[in-house]
Amino acid sequence: MNTLYGKNLADMDPYLGAGAWSEISNFGPALENAKFEGKLRGLPIFTAPRYVFCRSDLAKGALPPKNFADWIAFAKANTVIDPATNSLTQQALHPVDAATMADWQWWLLVFYSLGGELYKADGSPNFDSPEALATTQFLLDMRQATYGPASDAVGALPAGQGSVIDVDDATGKDNGVVCLAHSGWAAPAFDRPVWENVSIEPFYGDPANFPNSKPVVLAFNDWLAVADYSPNKELAADWLKLAFSKEGNNKWNETMGLIPARNDSQFGYVTESPQLQREAELAAEYGVGFAGIKEAAKLSTIMQDALGKLVTEELTPEEVNQTSQEQYAAALAE
Amino acid sequence: MLNNPYINVLIVAVLTVVFIISTSYGLGFLARAITRARGATPKQQESAFAGYFFAAPWIVGFVIFVIVPLSFSLYWSFTDYRIASGEPAAWKGIENYREIIFHDLGFRASLVNTLYLTVIGLPLQMGVALFLAVLLNQKMKGERLFRMAFYLPVILGFNTAVLLCWRLMLNTGTGIVNQIIRAISASVPPFGVLSRALILVQEVVTAFFLGMNTGKYNLLTKVLEAGFPADNRVPLWVQSPLWTKMSVILLMVWGCGTMMLIFLAGLNNIPKELHEAAEVDGATGWQKFWKISFPLLTPYIFYNLVVGLIGSLQIFEPIFVLYRDNEPIVSSTISMVYYLWETSFSHFEIGYGSAISWVILVIILIFTLLQFRLQDRWVTYDVY
Repeated sequence: MNTLYGKNLADMDPYLGAGAWSEISNFGPALENAKFEGKLRGLPIFTAPRYVFCRSDLAKGALPPKNFADWIAFAKANTVIDPATNSLTQQALHPVDAATMADWQWWLLVFYSLGGELYKADGSPNFDSPEALATTQFLLDMRQATYGPASDAVGALPAGQGSVIDVDDATGKDNGVVCLAHSGWAAPAFDRPVWENVSIEPFYGDPANFPNSKPVVLAFNDWLAVADYSPNKELAADWLKLAFSKEGNNKWNETMGLIPARNDSQFGYVTESPQLQREAELAAEYGVGFAGIKEAAKLSTIMQDALGKLVTEELTPEEVNQTSQEQYAAALAE
Repeated sequence: MLNNPYINVLIVAVLTVVFIISTSYGLGFLARAITRARGATPKQQESAFAGYFFAAPWIVGFVIFVIVPLSFSLYWSFTDYRIASGEPAAWKGIENYREIIFHDLGFRASLVNTLYLTVIGLPLQMGVALFLAVLLNQKMKGERLFRMAFYLPVILGFNTAVLLCWRLMLNTGTGIVNQIIRAISASVPPFGVLSRALILVQEVVTAFFLGMNTGKYNLLTKVLEAGFPADNRVPLWVQSPLWTKMSVILLMVWGCGTMMLIFLAGLNNIPKELHEAAEVDGATGWQKFWKISFPLLTPYIFYNLVVGLIGSLQIFEPIFVLYRDNEPIVSSTISMVYYLWETSFSHFEIGYGSAISWVILVIILIFTLLQFRLQDRWVTYDVY
């Protein structure tokens, strides 16, 4: 059994397409991620690209690492374990999930940076590709370069006040993360002094071993769509137009410090913030979109389940990919 | 319907009230007609009318919100029905049940996890509740304050704020739980050795259970190869798949206030003369508890066991809040009801989810019936 998001969503072209709503032309490339089989299904709210934010004042070695070997060396050099508590006091890289360092969003980012594609030409999943195996192996290598083997049972960083790459105002100590691979909302607030020492970069892949590698900013788009069974699509479209007005889209994103999907909503905090300016430039140059509209609802569950077992070494990287390939192929086939 | 949503809501509310009143009258008239047909006196007919008229709102609510959904759920459990697809449910016969019982490794893992939480967590929960009840049954200053303090977790419940506090308290490095373990281990070295021995036992047992989920026991092998934990080892509570279930058990134990209150009520119901007579005979405190209090508490233990078992077989909230945002390790602790939620509301497979819910119901029913069958062997109602 399988549920594909895209095919269960209404075709909203008659209500939101260029012929019905002139303001649709203000939406940027994120609009493509709200389409399924060429039809508009809803509207994108924001673009939340995953960048690599690094603290230059904490890092030992050149920033940013530009291939897998550099990242492993960086992880070893910049991770500190307190022997008294057997826990991290400094973590070289914090992907979306700090403890496992193997969540599915991080996996996708690394995979795309190697030139990987989630689907083959025939539509079947691509977890059995060399890029996929290298990605899974890299996640495990980074985890072990940070925490050691699973049997070492090293504790994760404590939760601090504010962003993990920020400084805790109450104690004056760093929260302990040197590089953060995440979207802007996990980064410090734009007015924090720590930004003087924070660089924003894409993830560079592994050009030494994969010639198709490219710097990637994986841009997750969140969107609101209308279910196909909705009895009043016109009313739903009216609500979307209201919520996604020029001002509405700007305000919605301001609270999270994200980039509005509408081009003309990118004013105020967007243009005033040098960080968002830099993020927008990187997203424009290296952005790879991902909105999940073409994916089966089970994709994240399948990947998380397999990747969770990678960290404990219950499954080898080969087994993780084989499991993901089999299960996702089955999900798509049904 | 009009296109104004506010007026729509108003109309629906008015229609609901009209519906309740009319069904109440309808049920009352029906009851009167039936009693009349059976030859009842006019007074009995009026009584039947009044009784069913006033009970009707509840009866109608029960039918609409319990019986009807239950019937739909039963029907859907035999179909392939995905709520988001907009397509009607397609009949599959017993295919869903066959899949769940014989092929679905995810459900098998959730069943094993739930049994772990039940077999290990429930006795711990009941033991701590009984221990606290015995302590609080002593006459002492501030007794009510302590009772309130231990019952407070039940009032707070497993809400998000409380569970997020637990996440902080269970942090490996700086969480208060591990800080206490470290502090005691440092000042009382034998405690440290005991603590590490317990860590080893816990990890071996959990690795075995995790192995049952996947059919591979290489994690168990690795735990055994690692040997006795080093001096600085502490539990990796919400961080490691080896500890995720134990963290949930800790929360179950923390929320044992209701069981404690029931045990307290039981202890208060034990006739004082029995303890006084035992004292005259020279019985020690332990003998009084074990020979008098405990046997007489068995009906209360039985009640807590039945209710606790049903609760632990349906456990959901602690897992959802503690681990949902930490997804790579959540599979190590997914319970049956979490799996049901994931299937129904994350994967939108309502037909399959319905079948899972009926399988869970049957499992709970079997365990509960088993307990009722076995109660004759150990529950005593002699003095009640």
